Amino acid sequence: MSDTIVVAGTYLISYGLILGYAVYLHIRRRRAGNPRG
Amino acid sequence: MTRVRVLMSLAAIAVAIGLWFALTAPPDALQGDYARLLGIHPPSMWLAFLAFGVTAFGSIMWLIKKTDRWDRLASASVEIGLIFTAIGLFTGMVWGQAVWGTPWDWQDPRLMSTAVMFFVYLGYMALRNAIDDPAVRARRSAILGAIAVVQVPLVYFSVNLFRTLHQTQSIRPDGSTMPDEMLTAMLVNMVAFTILYIALMTARLDVAKVEAEAEPQTSLAGDAVRPPRLNEVEDV
Repeated sequence: MSDTIVVAGTYLISYGLILGYAVYLHIRRRRAGNPRG
Repeated sequence: MTRVRVLMSLAAIAVAIGLWFALTAPPDALQGDYARLLGIHPPSMWLAFLAFGVTAFGSIMWLIKKTDRWDRLASASVEIGLIFTAIGLFTGMVWGQAVWGTPWDWQDPRLMSTAVMFFVYLGYMALRNAIDDPAVRARRSAILGAIAVVQVPLVYFSVNLFRTLHQTQSIRPDGSTMPDEMLTAMLVNMVAFTILYIALMTARLDVAKVEAEAEPQTSLAGDAVRPPRLNEVEDV
């Protein structure tokens, strides 16, 4: 596997984790603001 | 919500700029494209140190002031610090596999101290989840948050204190050991990650505040259905 793909994949997974956390916070905020929803 | 969106947008732009710097820097003569991990590995660990430092500050302030906002600040920062420690460990392992020939060395002080720090703060989160009483939870986690921060300088200086596979600091009082392009990419990403931290913290504190406002209603419902405690049974 080429170095470029490994480095790109590492960036992708890391930024994916950060993005996932931001989306999780967004969903949690919506649920907390609207407990019935 | 609007403030969170503005900060998240700013963070996204800053991270995109940082990514551009990391990907356009010339490849290293020895490490090739792996040197581009400078754009994410040190900034992630910097952010983790910052986050755990903020946790210690919030914890100490809670122990002095005993107000909920400091507890919320401390716990929110741990969550973000853990995510970035995980990213730091993961990117470090990928980098280690490429340049050391192994992703992990159980005898390496830098790697092991970082892993211990990760698990101690994971324990902080477990401690918070194990305690129902908000006042007890805040006190115990504040004590742990104030003590656990001693690991941050230990992790940072472990490369100087012990023999380790990991290189020593690239930025020293007498200058940098990196080419200017790489140094710039790393510093731009550190600034971008700091903006990202502010955005994520604002969003996390917003969630914590709304959840805290909803908490009395939740605990009332919980109180109605909880089993009797031992001392209450004795009273009867």
